[in-house]
This record gives sequence, C-alpha cells and structure tokens, in this order.
Amino acid sequence: MMNGTWKVDARDGKLAMAHIYVAFVALALGGLAGLLQVLVRSGKFELPAGISYYTILTTHGVLLGLVLTTFFIIGFQFSAISRTAGTLSDRIRFWGWVGFWLMTIGTAITAFYILIGEASVLYTFYAPLQAHAGFYIGLTLVVVGSWISGFATFAHYAKWKKAHPGQVSPLLTFMSVVNMILWLICSLGVAATVLFQFIPWSLGYVDRINVLVSRTLFWYFGHPLVYFWLLPAYMIWYAIIPKIIGGKMFSDSLARMSFILFLIFSIPVGFHHQLVEPGIDPAWKYLQVVLTFMVVIPSLMTAFSMFATFEMYGRSKGATGLFGWLRKLPWGDARFFAPFIGMLFFIPAGAGGLVNASYQLNQVVHNTTWVTGHFHLTLATTVVLTFFGAAYWLIPHLTGRVMTKAMNRLAIIQTIVWSIGMIFMSGAMHFAGLLGAPRRSAFSTYGDAPQALEWIPYQIAQAVGGTILFIGIILVLIIVTNLAFFAPKGETEFPVAEVAEQAERTPLVFENWKLWIGIAVVLILIAYTVPFIDMIQNAPPGSKGFKLW
Amino acid sequence: MKTQLNTNTPKTKVEKEPVLKGTLASVLFLGFFLIFTWVSVYFLFLNRL
Repeated sequence: MMNGTWKVDARDGKLAMAHIYVAFVALALGGLAGLLQVLVRSGKFELPAGISYYTILTTHGVLLGLVLTTFFIIGFQFSAISRTAGTLSDRIRFWGWVGFWLMTIGTAITAFYILIGEASVLYTFYAPLQAHAGFYIGLTLVVVGSWISGFATFAHYAKWKKAHPGQVSPLLTFMSVVNMILWLICSLGVAATVLFQFIPWSLGYVDRINVLVSRTLFWYFGHPLVYFWLLPAYMIWYAIIPKIIGGKMFSDSLARMSFILFLIFSIPVGFHHQLVEPGIDPAWKYLQVVLTFMVVIPSLMTAFSMFATFEMYGRSKGATGLFGWLRKLPWGDARFFAPFIGMLFFIPAGAGGLVNASYQLNQVVHNTTWVTGHFHLTLATTVVLTFFGAAYWLIPHLTGRVMTKAMNRLAIIQTIVWSIGMIFMSGAMHFAGLLGAPRRSAFSTYGDAPQALEWIPYQIAQAVGGTILFIGIILVLIIVTNLAFFAPKGETEFPVAEVAEQAERTPLVFENWKLWIGIAVVLILIAYTVPFIDMIQNAPPGSKGFKLW
Repeated sequence: MKTQLNTNTPKTKVEKEPVLKGTLASVLFLGFFLIFTWVSVYFLFLNRL
C-alpha cells in the first residue's frame, strides 16, 4: 500500500466504533419491530397493550432505514479515511465526535416521540400526517450531525491533497468524499422541508402545509439517500473484496468513474417516486425517468468490474472453462461470502428497480408490497449483508481482536439464514404486490373481498421469512458482540486492494470537483426548477395536519 | 571500428489481455434477466389495461 498507514489509529478507531455500536443497537430494536410487523400482517397475531402497528412500522423504518445505515456508513468512512489518508488530526476528530453526539441525541429525541405514539408517520413522514415537533427536531439534529461529519471528511481529504500535490488520492478516501458530497447535496432537500415546512406547521406557527412541495423535497432527498446507503457497499466491493480474495482490483479509474456518475445522476431523479402524483407535468416526470435510467450505467459498470475481478483471480489460480473461476473463490471466508451473497441479491433488486422507475410499470406496483420487497433486497440484503461482511474484519481491527473460526462459521450460517429468510419475505412481498396488496397497512381483509383474500398466503410466507430474518439478526448480534468484547486479542487486517498491473493510470480529472459538482447542480436545476415554480405558483390550498393513529 | 550488431533487439512488451469470457457470459445473463423481468411486468400492465 503506497498511501497512508496500515492500522487505523486507536483514537480514530474509537470514533468509528462509537458509530458502529449505535448502528447495531438500532439493528436490534428495528429488527424486533420488523418481526412484530410481519406477525401482525399475517393476521394471526395482535399487538399487546394497544400498541399501534404504525408506531412499530415507523420505529422499524427510522431505526433501520435512517439510523443503522447513517451511523454504520459514517463510522466505516471515518475508519477508511484514517486507514488510507492517515490518522485524523485532533481537530477533525473533535468535529467527528460533535457530529456523532448530535446524531445520537437527535436519534434519541426522534425515537422517544415515536415510542410514545406521537409520531406514527412512517419514515417518509408524508404530510399531511403530522407528528409532534420533537420528531422533526430530532431528525434535524441527525442531519446536522451528519453534515459536520461530512465536513470533517472533506477537511481530512483537503489536508491529504495539500501534503500530496498533483497526486491521485487514495481510492477509499476519494469514495468517502463522493458519498459525503452526494449526502450533503441531497439532504439540503429534507432540511428545507423540515425547517421551513414541518417544524413551523407542527409547532402551530402556520396552519397549512403545501403537501406536494414537501413530498417533492423529500424525494429529492429520498432517492439519493438510497445511493448514500449503496455507495459504501460499492466501496467495499471495489476496494476491499479484491484484497480479501487475494486478487487485484480490475481498475481504479473505472471505480472512480462509476462514483462520479452516481454523484451526477442519482439526485435529479426523485420524480420516479412520484409518478402517480398529480400536480407534476408528465414531461418532467419523463425527464427524471430518463435520468433515473442513467444511474443504471454505473451499477452495470460495477457488476462488470466485480465479475472481472473474480474471474481474473480465479484464472490466476489456474481456473479453466467458462465459470471455473467461481470454484476458486474463498467460499469459507465470511468476509467474502456475506458481501458476495449481497451482490447476487442486487441482480433481482436492480431488475425490480427498473420496473419501479418505468412510468407504466410503476402503475402495476405503486404503493404495493412489491416496493417494500424491492428495498428489502437493495437495502436489507445487498447493503446490509455487505456491511455485516465488513463488520467481520472492521470491528476486530478496531478493537484489537481476531475473529475465531467458530465465529466465521456462525457468520456463514448467518448469511445463509438471512438469504433464506429474505427469499421468503421479499419474494412473498413481490408476488403479493403484483396481485395488488397495499404496503404500509396493517392486516386487513377489506370486507373479505376476493382480491384481498388472495394475499393472505403471501402474508403468511412474509411472516415466516421475517421470523427467519429475526433469527439472522440475533446471530449477527452474537457475532458483533463477540468481536467487540470477547474475541481473542490480536491483529486483524484492514484489507485495502491494489490495482491490477494491466490497469491504466488513474487520471486526476476525477478530482476536478468544480466540474462534477457543477454538472450535478446544473442537472438538478434543469430537472427541478420549472416543476417547482409550477408547484408553488399553482398550489392548491395547503392542508391542515392529521393524526390518524 | 567494427560495427557491432545489436543482438539484443528490444522486445516489444506484449500486453496480454486478461481472459474475461466468463465475465462476458455473466453480464449477458444479467442483461437478459433485467430485460426478462421488465418485459414480464410490462405484459402484466398490458393485460390489465
């Protein structure tokens, strides 16, 4: 490794681990909420003590969709920049801790209002559902905290660039910077709607809210949010997995190029979540659908690059035939196995995504459990299994321990359990969705309508899958607790891949931030300015708040 | 002075392209799967018109 140090500094490790602890506590609580949901949805169980299904559903979405992901990602990125661009300065680490505490306090406030039943508005908090102001204020703190961590990341990158003029930055640092730029640009949308619309409205300063504007600002944030989750998984695939299998990275330039394409194309696409929404001209929806399909390109580039990395490694070990290289991969190593299974699940996940984003096809699946099934493949399998696989080396690296063979075996079993559970749960959600089963609703037979009765076997399969997944959560929590507190002391490597000899030299143009951020901003302005003016000028009367739970 | 024949003619370094036929087959399968899924739901859409 040419750049940086071999081991993450203990002080940086502590900062990263603090984030990772919160992430796994969120997994435990959010996972329990998920189990309760699928049991209610099967029609065979009811929640005790008058607890609302929608309270549990909000808990699940916020803790797993927002807290688990954001905390794990920022913790992982801090460790990655410390490992590849050198130890953080005291000042940068201080701001990292400020970010961490703001996010944690924000999460606690938000969770409090959800759990006392004052904010059962789901993680998308669509208006006109109105939560207690504390819910929105807590979320604001989470976002502000993440911004501070983002700026700490940029400061560390700038320091490295100053010390290494004219050099290409370490890949993992570059990727962390791209992800935080993406996050900063997109979270401006959610910050705007929360600060200017939801908080004044929920505090009673204004009576009514412009629903369409709030939803548009949410989805301006909501879709790139998906890529904010996904890019760290791609970092692990591109820059770490090749080292774990003992091979080389196919191309550094290709990896950087795909990240830049995500930065450019993943933001001006929010309308594909609003395809059935009135008040937006179809021409603008069409434009954003086209831009959405542009995001397919970097994902396909990633798929090609991963296949090529695996094949090159297998052939270097003497593999022959069309797929002989598959046999050479280290199937018994959970650090590889869990992310690899995540990659496989990304194939149906991506296919489902193309359906969601297509104008006509979206009408078949809109607001059905198909969509829930889709993001349980993307986030809850592809991303999460990759994060689990990373935790298996990252946690022992940061805590000065080693993973035992028994824990490795348990991690392999965990991956298999997760896969089986998800095939049942997500598969059932997809099929029930095609039959019209609505998402975001508690169990209902809709007056025993024949169509609704068709969904029940799938909802039972969902409950079976969800229960198996909960066992998977218990297993991963056992492994993580072991790695953090009980595994034998020792040195664990933070793997960082080297580039294959045949790869071309990486050009510096990928770090021309003015250019890439400029293009991203221009595309955002093109995709959003006119429809946004339209939404404000031709707005219907705003809506009062509703508490329907 | 005798002209010395340079017997060590510099060899052109032959860059060997890696064999990636398995990768080609894999991405073709992936492309086929994406199209198959899309077309399946599209026909569902048409049937329900």
